[in-house]
Amino acid sequence: MIVRGTRSISLAACLWLAAACAPPPAAAAPTEVQVERVRPAKTKRPTLTFLKANRAFIRARFDLLRQRPGAAGGDAQAFDPRFLTYGDMLARTLAAKDSTTAADDAWRRRQLLASITELGDLESRLEQMERLLSEQRGRLGVLQADFTGRQETALMVLVSGWPGDAAAVTGVSIVLEDGDTLSVALSPEQRESLRQGGIVQVAHTFVEPREQVLEIGLAGPAGDTAFLTLEPARDRLTLLRLDLSAVGSGRGAAGIRASTWLHEAGIDPTDG
Amino acid sequence: MIDIGRLRPTLRRIRAHVARVGLLLITAVCALGAEPAVAREAPHFPARAGLDLAREAALSWATDARLVYVENDEPLDSTGTAERWAYLFHSPSLDRLRGYSVRDGKIVVAENLEMKLEAPPVALEWIDSEAALAAAEDEAEEFREKHAGHLSAMLLMRGPFLEQDPDETTWTLVYTAKGQPSLFVVVEATGGRVRRTWRG
Repeated sequence: MIVRGTRSISLAACLWLAAACAPPPAAAAPTEVQVERVRPAKTKRPTLTFLKANRAFIRARFDLLRQRPGAAGGDAQAFDPRFLTYGDMLARTLAAKDSTTAADDAWRRRQLLASITELGDLESRLEQMERLLSEQRGRLGVLQADFTGRQETALMVLVSGWPGDAAAVTGVSIVLEDGDTLSVALSPEQRESLRQGGIVQVAHTFVEPREQVLEIGLAGPAGDTAFLTLEPARDRLTLLRLDLSAVGSGRGAAGIRASTWLHEAGIDPTDG
Repeated sequence: MIDIGRLRPTLRRIRAHVARVGLLLITAVCALGAEPAVAREAPHFPARAGLDLAREAALSWATDARLVYVENDEPLDSTGTAERWAYLFHSPSLDRLRGYSVRDGKIVVAENLEMKLEAPPVALEWIDSEAALAAAEDEAEEFREKHAGHLSAMLLMRGPFLEQDPDETTWTLVYTAKGQPSLFVVVEATGGRVRRTWRG
């Protein structure tokens, strides 16, 4: 019963994701991305040529900056036993200080309650706390603006479509150009949601804002890979949708229909 | 016996066809030749202008990425700008180096540098390549005029060419001339003062 409930929730979540991640009708129309069987060739441009040509020289210059042990001997010497007692003395001093501070606090509290005139002071302290709280709220606002209001370059990969049971896909892997590999196994619930037209999110990660080739791997009875070229927009969330419905038609991973669009909605930093 | 008079119209058609194909080939060759020229055109910019983009990419690679080195990837012009600049970052947690080459507001190369380079991060504030070149020009004037030398590289880093002040971030300008030892001019990247010159 609980398992069925969990499955229903999972399916509902996937279907909700399908609705939530569906591109807005007019604001950001998805762009088709070509999926290729072989990795597309890229123009090789030389970079850091001076550094590479003079690497030994520059490394040697940096090595000169490193600290080296001096010529002085490192023989051990006898330890003065008095040093050991200093730590103990310090601990006792701190303990005595704690006791006097506690007594002093108690005395101050009694004085405060005894004197009605000091209520004014209490009020001013309350005002001060209120001011501190207000300043803290301002600082939190800055943090919220920085960390929730400003989108960094990110990529979200969504999977939809079901290629049929004969070509069932049990997992998806994405290899980014910087070498990072994201592998996601599709659970039975997620596969069921794909069968029913749902969408599954398989990756959400920060990416470099540049044109790059992604290697898409499909795990399953007929595991296969394909490549697509993507240029995530700077400071934006790019959504990439991989439609697997045509994978089963004998084309393998090259049958993936890929489309991409930018997430338009922002977060209001003043909200909440 | 071949009747030349009957063949003449056919020969004319063949000649016209060959001329058309030749014209098409010339057009195609011109178009192919023109394409790289168009691709080569990109605005020159000073070193700092590409840093934000490179840093953003570096932070998505490693959150502790620190800029350790800058170098021009294309020839410099007389104002200290170039079509492409390279930015090298080091990640202490990954213990790796990754460089980004920026051209026309885009990262056109991103690659890991497979070498050990214990380079400290450069200072947060540094003068741009234009100001560094302006500061170095007086020192290089004689070399340029006497040996027909030219500026071939500008390097931003911290430490290696200023032993007496290794915490200083500096621009090193490398002037080269045919058959001559290169001229190195080291400029303070914070104050714009020439600190050292040498030939080598």
